[in-house]
Amino acid sequence: MKILLVEDDKQTADYIAKGLREHGHVVDHAGNGRDGLYLATGEKYDVMIVDRMLPAMDGLSLVKAARASSVRTPVLFLTTMGGIDDRVTGFEAGGDDYLVKPFAFAELLARVGALARRPPMVAATSLAAGDLEMDLLARTVTRAGKRIELLAQEFKILEYLLRHAGEVVTRTMLLEKVWDFHFDPKTNIVETHISRLRSKIDKGFDKPLLHTVRGAGYVIRAPD
Amino acid sequence: MSFARLIRILRSASFRLPLIYAVLFVLSAGALFVTVYWTATAAMQDDMAAVLRTEAYQLAEVHRRGGLGGLAEQITRRMNFRTRGPIFYLLQAPSRRVVVGNLPGMPPVDGVVDFVPQTDTPEPEAQPSKLTGFGLTLSDGSFLLVAQDADRLSEMQHAIVRAFVWASGLALLLAIAGGALIGTSFLRRIDTITRTSLAIMEGDLSARIPVRGTYDEIDQLVASLNAMLSRIQQLMDGLRQVSSDIAHDLRTPLGRLRQHLEDARARATTTADYDAATDAAIEEADELLETFSALLRIAQVEAGAQKRGFTDVDLSDLVKSVGEAYQPAAEDSEHTLDYQIEDGVHLTGDRQLLAQMISNLVENALRHTPAGSTVSLALRKAGTGFEIEVADDGPGIPETEHERVFTRFYRLDRSRSTAGSGLGLALVKAIAGLHGLTIRLEDRKPGLGVVLMSS
Repeated sequence: MKILLVEDDKQTADYIAKGLREHGHVVDHAGNGRDGLYLATGEKYDVMIVDRMLPAMDGLSLVKAARASSVRTPVLFLTTMGGIDDRVTGFEAGGDDYLVKPFAFAELLARVGALARRPPMVAATSLAAGDLEMDLLARTVTRAGKRIELLAQEFKILEYLLRHAGEVVTRTMLLEKVWDFHFDPKTNIVETHISRLRSKIDKGFDKPLLHTVRGAGYVIRAPD
Repeated sequence: MSFARLIRILRSASFRLPLIYAVLFVLSAGALFVTVYWTATAAMQDDMAAVLRTEAYQLAEVHRRGGLGGLAEQITRRMNFRTRGPIFYLLQAPSRRVVVGNLPGMPPVDGVVDFVPQTDTPEPEAQPSKLTGFGLTLSDGSFLLVAQDADRLSEMQHAIVRAFVWASGLALLLAIAGGALIGTSFLRRIDTITRTSLAIMEGDLSARIPVRGTYDEIDQLVASLNAMLSRIQQLMDGLRQVSSDIAHDLRTPLGRLRQHLEDARARATTTADYDAATDAAIEEADELLETFSALLRIAQVEAGAQKRGFTDVDLSDLVKSVGEAYQPAAEDSEHTLDYQIEDGVHLTGDRQLLAQMISNLVENALRHTPAGSTVSLALRKAGTGFEIEVADDGPGIPETEHERVFTRFYRLDRSRSTAGSGLGLALVKAIAGLHGLTIRLEDRKPGLGVVLMSS
């Protein structure tokens, strides 16, 4: 994947670029907003990672200007912690996701992956992984033809995982997408739901579909 | 009174004000004086002219009856019986010969005339300086003049001027003295305020301005200044408390972080050892970051910055989804979580903050009650608004602690050993405040009820 990183802090930029390259991505780095906009409008990228606070031109203006020049590349904003408004203003400017600094690298990687492979806008009516099938219209789930009863929130979790089948989905991503919780609960909400979901979809089957990626999150993967 | 102090009094508002009034008074008194002066003078002049005219026409009647001789006789008689003040007469024959009179001859003038007589008669001490007369040419061509001393008029005029000068002078003096007096006392009180503010600026936050107890404007000002100072001191104390709390509460996780790193360096021999130590260190760092982020969030919510992002929130839906989110976790910790949620409760607010507020309350209830406890989450309509209630049947919170649990970093002694930053309820209170909700703790004996009420 080709990624544009616009970040003025040298240490953070090196840390992110190094990590992304280790995962096989190509990274272009700009140290300020103006250079960032120049690259964003001149080159083709799969994802842009943009810091909100930048010299020469702040992240919001950069993304607004890029969107005005018909750049459709998904944007992940990096914001400083605590900013509640940041998220809303970021989306308004044309951002697609945001991540609060400091963050775990696995979180960044998962989000970049999710952004780059955003599902097409055409609404799917069913999702599947291996022999697990989800009918979005009838709101039913079957595995190997056997009906599985899920609670509303379990259904939402599974739907999100299936939409990102093969990709790591972090705990924070699930909190945001399934519950719209933009804070870190002290209780293991996600873990307990995943454990119930797992017992419903994997229990009694030879090959598990739902895997835990240690230190990162969860992934649903069809067995080989 | 030093010169500088005098200057200050002269410049003080309370001195200038009476002075301005005094000047205004003198100006209006001046206008009154001019009016009185002219009106009185004119009235007196008219009065004198009327007296003289009457006298002259009476004498003309005598002349018509008794001729010049009879008139001369009548005049002589009247000059000898000065019944109504000193009146002067002159009767001149048509040849300008003075027939009788105590005035020197003069060219005949009809009507009112003011003049200074050039007299050659004796008794110079009785000579008037100025006379007002009434002249009348009689039917045979002789001339009659009746005159009166005009000094009375000028005496009256002088009296009016004198009265005015005295009254104005006295008023001015009183105004200046009163102004100085008020100015001094005013200045003394202002000085007290200034001295107190200086003391406060130098760090004595407990200093207060004394109140005189007269409940006048300055007293009211002083009272509200004192109230403001108390509020500032309270806030400063709070801030001081928070900073020392932050310093204290962050020391512990920072110390543990350092210890994990030290351990890794001193004892770790295998990769697994290093991983374990690093993971522990990361966990501590995350906890620190979480504390910071919670503090920032509380500060932001308290500043009310989110209000512009308010939208319509389906509170029934939100409370239900929070309840469902915690259901499996509650079951795992052997709690019963039940909820009674009325449909159709809406609120204008920030959905994410409200979700965090309710989550914090549910989490608190789950964490601070033993296994087997029941936590109930309720949303019901109450009056024109609604009520959110999170209750449990656990150990509760002593009544004496009810107020303090909402302060930052506050933790009950028995909770010190469990994980948590002590910021959860402080954030709940801030979010409730932002949405105009009042929060109330109820002792359920056993257990605790937290009730959020819309106003």
